[in-house]
Amino acid sequence: MIGHAEKIWLVLIGLTFVGAALGETGHASWLLTMTVVSLIAFKGGIVIDYYMEMRSANQRMRNILRLFIILIPVLVILIHAWGDEFRQLTTLN
Amino acid sequence: MRIFSSNSLPVAVDTKTTLQGRIPGNSGIWVGIFCVLVEFFMLFCVYLVAKAHNPEAFLTGPNKLVTLAGTTITLLLLTSGYCMVKAVNAIRINKNQSALRWIIMAIVLGFGYPIVKYYEIRWNIDHGVHGEAGVFYTVYYYLTLNHLVHVCWGLLGLMWVAVHTGAGSYSSDNYSGLEAAALYWHTTDIIWLVIFPFFYILR
Repeated sequence: MIGHAEKIWLVLIGLTFVGAALGETGHASWLLTMTVVSLIAFKGGIVIDYYMEMRSANQRMRNILRLFIILIPVLVILIHAWGDEFRQLTTLN
Repeated sequence: MRIFSSNSLPVAVDTKTTLQGRIPGNSGIWVGIFCVLVEFFMLFCVYLVAKAHNPEAFLTGPNKLVTLAGTTITLLLLTSGYCMVKAVNAIRINKNQSALRWIIMAIVLGFGYPIVKYYEIRWNIDHGVHGEAGVFYTVYYYLTLNHLVHVCWGLLGLMWVAVHTGAGSYSSDNYSGLEAAALYWHTTDIIWLVIFPFFYILR
């Protein structure tokens, strides 16, 4: 019988193979970026809520963890969209 | 995020109400966890700045890395994390021997990481992928080796709780040490879930 822990593990493993398959395509595109950052946020969210059990824990701590796993994908999207502007912003003159 | 129906319980929670709002593990481990998250957030910012300034290097960089190695490490860490979930579940019902077996499995799988990393780095160096091969690889080595150090701390923590579990130090009433080690171990999972796509998948 497959319990919750096993279902969670299978979901994470399945999504890992999806990510690896995407990596093998070797193309840079909006679709790849959006899919990959979605996988980061989704898989990270699963680990936080189910492996770490934060869904039923202190919500402030859970929100900090979720902020981490959401902020990074958002930054990736911003840099993908406005790479030139970000480069200028981070250039020391 | 809910991937099961609303009445389903988290993976390793006995009753939803008894654990509502609690701080898993202990306060000390959360100081460590948040320090690790801040550290890696800064390192990911370094990655993003380097990528914005060197888009060509980050476009072609992943082509020379072995995706199989990154995938294998991901599978090892996630499966090892699953074992720690089972270990915490077991100790909650006073099954110490079962918990010990799960912890040992988590340690064995966890040690697969440095082994895979060793062979990956050997393969890299044989193919000219070293720390000075370009900015992408400099950032790659800096982040992945830094993560490896944190995994080694996590493995030491798991070995520590394995000894204490074997000695019968934990029970359903007192397992915060075991849970704290599991939480740190899951944190290394979360960090790797960002590192893996950053270096092996994203272009």
